[in-house]
Amino acid sequence: MFDHDPDVELVRLAQAGDSRAFEAIVVKYQRRIARLIARYLKSADDVEDAVQEVFLRVYRSLNTFRGDSLFYTWLFRVATNVALRQLERQPSDVLLGDDDPEERIVGFEPGITDAAQPERTAMAEQIAETVQAALSRLLPHLAEALMLYEVENKSYAEIAQMLEIPLGTVRTWIYRARESIAKRLDPILRSQRSERW
Amino acid sequence: MSLKASRLLDGDLRPEDVPATLDGMESHSDERDRFTIYRLIGDTLRGNSTPDDGYSKRIFDRIRRETSGK
Repeated sequence: MFDHDPDVELVRLAQAGDSRAFEAIVVKYQRRIARLIARYLKSADDVEDAVQEVFLRVYRSLNTFRGDSLFYTWLFRVATNVALRQLERQPSDVLLGDDDPEERIVGFEPGITDAAQPERTAMAEQIAETVQAALSRLLPHLAEALMLYEVENKSYAEIAQMLEIPLGTVRTWIYRARESIAKRLDPILRSQRSERW
Repeated sequence: MSLKASRLLDGDLRPEDVPATLDGMESHSDERDRFTIYRLIGDTLRGNSTPDDGYSKRIFDRIRRETSGK
């Protein structure tokens, strides 16, 4: 496997039958997979069904993953194949037109702008506002480390080099940033916590 | 402990520490919640703040349903 694959150990454990490791993988990637599939399918129900299908296929074929690519590259390839196959069965779901693809995606984000799920839409907006507000209150160096990792897709090592700090400091800053934001999110997520993994 | 949840999310833990961290998350729901909230924060910063709202659980339920007995 790729030495730098951040999922290598979770995948190895999941391949050995540790369901907790696989569940961690699901939690880690389900939103990104849903966003990818929402580029192809119209309804939130179809997207969710396809996301379930993706993880079911990955679960069943996990032992065929040999680490020739990053795990998430393999996962995204499976997701694209599932979405395309579902499109073949439901050709009316093909999204064609000259409009902005990003606008089309937003319209089909599961739960975000689905008129049938106004509560989820409101919750998503509240989460986004809370995270942005908490981010603005962070010490600047904590916010910078978190943004470099999450948004700029930099590795811990790259962040350490860019900010000229030890690697251990990077992991501590990112953790402190997350924890500070999480404390602001706790009250609004508490109501649904019992339903989450 | 939440530091380990943060490091697990980023693939930063030593391999030998991952099973113990999963044990901790299994036995302490607060730790499990931290893992999901940290992921939600990252996804929100990338523009997707959709609450989990049972989404992950429904995935696990389907996997269990369709692979049971195998």
